[in-house]
Amino acid sequence: MALVDLIEKNVIKIPMTAESKTAAIDEMIEVLVNANKISHPGAVRQAILKREDLGSTGLENGIAVPHAKCDEVDKLILALGISPRGIDFEAMDGNPSHLFFMILAPPDQSGPHIEALAEIAKITRSKSFYKLLITAANAEEVVELFHEE
Amino acid sequence: MKGPIRKILVYIDGTEQSITAAQYAILLSHATGAELTALYVVNTRALNDLVNARIFLEIEQEEYQRDLESDAERYLKHVKSLGLEKGISIETDKRSGTVHQEIKNAISEKEIDLLIIGELSRIRSRKDEFYNESDRAMRNAHCSVLIVKDEERVIDLFEEI
Repeated sequence: MALVDLIEKNVIKIPMTAESKTAAIDEMIEVLVNANKISHPGAVRQAILKREDLGSTGLENGIAVPHAKCDEVDKLILALGISPRGIDFEAMDGNPSHLFFMILAPPDQSGPHIEALAEIAKITRSKSFYKLLITAANAEEVVELFHEE
Repeated sequence: MKGPIRKILVYIDGTEQSITAAQYAILLSHATGAELTALYVVNTRALNDLVNARIFLEIEQEEYQRDLESDAERYLKHVKSLGLEKGISIETDKRSGTVHQEIKNAISEKEIDLLIIGELSRIRSRKDEFYNESDRAMRNAHCSVLIVKDEERVIDLFEEI
């Protein structure tokens, strides 16, 4: 399962309306509920917040990657959110985060989970792609950017 | 043993697609008499990348590495038992490192003539960043590569033998 296979219109939220870290997490979880990817948002929220308690997944340069292993899902799932205004996600550089990848994986699928996160790590190194993503007008445009041949 | 396929390597990564690939590899081994090896690579390169990118904390790196080691044992054991069900003996090989590089090394060391992998992403992208490890293995392998599709047909065929 490649990362691009997980990028669907219905798991993309643009623009995000949240103004705080926990609201951003809740907004991403709501996206997954609406896309019928999860049915017990409380368990997912708990898993994500437990990981955030160890240290924020807000990276440098406007990207946040909240992630967790979670019994609630039976396969790897992703939600992608874009906040043009930026949200304080307690990022390590202190700057607001604009691009959010939420990744959830079942505990017995660490391989695909790590591979998806590693692909995100590669994306975080591409400043030009990041700029294209955070200036995308809608979910269709984001999907096109990932699927572009 | 004669014929173009004498030694098969199937790459297992814990996905359903890779288990289907293993079933197809067993079918081929059954039909051709080829030796079959199942390989799982603990992706320590990705774990290091995730720590460097600060997506993972070191404590997570350790936890996920243990998970991967355990997944490797479990999935290789599962594939071995699938082979035994059909009377095929499967050698298992667990390695650590960069996945596509370790697959390439195994092909070379074991003189493999056919690599079997699970279905690739249906989405083609021109961005190298989006090639996953199966894509890279396919592109870097020096032997022929077979990509297994049509899961339902493979399952039916597997049940028939």
